Amino acid sequence: MSGRRVGTGGVVRNEVAKLRHLRVGLVAGLMVLGMVALTLLSTLTSAVFADPARRSWDVPLAGLSLAVPLVCPLLLALVASRMVDVEHQGGGWLLNATSGTTPGVLCRAKLVTGAGVVVVVTAVTHLSVWALGRLAGIDAPVPVGLWLGFAAAGLAVNLVVLALHVVLSATVDNQLVALGTGLLGTVVAVFGSGFPAWSAHLTPWGYYSLVAAAGYEGQDLVRTSPSCFSVLVLTVTAAALFGLVTSRFDRQETR
Amino acid sequence: MDTVTTTGLTKSYGRQVVVQGLDLRVPEGCVYGFLGPNGSGKSTTMKMLLSLVRPTAGEVLVLGEPMNRSTRRRQLARIGSLIESPPGYGHLTGGENLRLVQRSLGLDEAQVDRAVRSVRLEEQLDKKVAHYSLGMKQRLGIAMALAREPRLLVLDEPTNGLDPAGIEEIRELLRRLAGRGVTVMVSSHLLGEVDKAADVFGILSAGRLLFQGSREQLFAAAVPDLLIDTSDPHRARAVLDDRVAARVDGGSLRIPGIDDQGTARVVADLVGAGAPVYGVRREEQSLEDVFMDLTRGGRL
Repeated sequence: MSGRRVGTGGVVRNEVAKLRHLRVGLVAGLMVLGMVALTLLSTLTSAVFADPARRSWDVPLAGLSLAVPLVCPLLLALVASRMVDVEHQGGGWLLNATSGTTPGVLCRAKLVTGAGVVVVVTAVTHLSVWALGRLAGIDAPVPVGLWLGFAAAGLAVNLVVLALHVVLSATVDNQLVALGTGLLGTVVAVFGSGFPAWSAHLTPWGYYSLVAAAGYEGQDLVRTSPSCFSVLVLTVTAAALFGLVTSRFDRQETR
Repeated sequence: MDTVTTTGLTKSYGRQVVVQGLDLRVPEGCVYGFLGPNGSGKSTTMKMLLSLVRPTAGEVLVLGEPMNRSTRRRQLARIGSLIESPPGYGHLTGGENLRLVQRSLGLDEAQVDRAVRSVRLEEQLDKKVAHYSLGMKQRLGIAMALAREPRLLVLDEPTNGLDPAGIEEIRELLRRLAGRGVTVMVSSHLLGEVDKAADVFGILSAGRLLFQGSREQLFAAAVPDLLIDTSDPHRARAVLDDRVAARVDGGSLRIPGIDDQGTARVVADLVGAGAPVYGVRREEQSLEDVFMDLTRGGRL
């Protein structure tokens, strides 16, 4: 007769196994490379950085604050799309449902797996920027609190965007829709800082402008504080909505 | 004991009734051929048996226990299934796909090995599923269903797209499984594909069960046309007038849907009227003819 049932851990392990050959590692590498390269570029071309007396961590933090919204929305859409599309292509929803793993459970496991990738990307990116900053001659003390807040808030927004894309890719078979949404998200994220703060709260991508640790106001470099409360509200709301939607997936019947 | 029992099983989407009042009885250890034209409701019925689709009315008992949302997870551990197109992650190898199933059901290596041997897929496990032929994908799908060593195997059109050798191989497999005590329910829109393997048939048309029983019962239930050989079929038809729906067919008179007593009366009338009768016979029918007749007319 049949074997013993495995819990959520087994479903997540399966999701990790499915990542093989999906080139998610490559996409993650591109995310790190893209964010670090853009940060480096904006740092080295900054007039503030050119002056050794004014050289501070605010310069790479401003660069990274711009690089994150430029790189993450589209590549997160790609990560989610690659993870979910295999279920559409391989009849995976039905295969798992006939083994007792419903689509909602599968989506939650995909988010956990994707979140692991995003955490690693965030950690490697921030550590790389710190290391390159040191190599580039920034000797000022690291603003640890600000940086950790920025990293944590950015990670939270990335996870919300990833969750949105997991749901979107699962709902719409045509992955061009998901990628198009990611592209649109990039535009909203990049230009979000040019709009009033209230408008940034309207979409998940707008929150990228709320987590910036530093930025330029004209020629002036300004240190900003990530809006941790707003991000917390977004995260809690998104978690509740994700739970609600995936529970609905669990109750949906196949046709 | 019946492995699957349904009572008044019905499914509607809005006003469209897809399956209506099915009372299925699938005996233990048999191969149950679930037949019907495309769109007759076979897949929907199978999905209801697996609780993937919620019935609008009626109930399903599998292995003596109700099959519904609350019992599904436990029940599915002893039901293998292959619904619609064969599953398989194309970017992974056959072996990697099987390991996913092994992990999600907590199976041991030996169970997976036995399933692989059953479908003779040992040599293909290192190949990516994207490079599999349709036949290999079907066999992988069946291996995934068999790995849990199920008591009930539900296969939806498993021979779709297979060549004759592949179809024969699936038939053999079904017979072997039934021989081991596994109840196999297999659907097809082509009788010929499951005819030789099935012991019991259920025939569905437009969501209704037209027939359920053995091959012998199916033949007995379907009345083949009566052919009366006579030298003057036009006169014979005139004699019978409009008492029976007779028509001239070459040198014979063809009378559909007439039983033995009716046959005796017709022959007596013809002889009494002096019409020369030199042969009375039933048209030879294959099971395929019976099936076509049933599903075309929606009747027995």
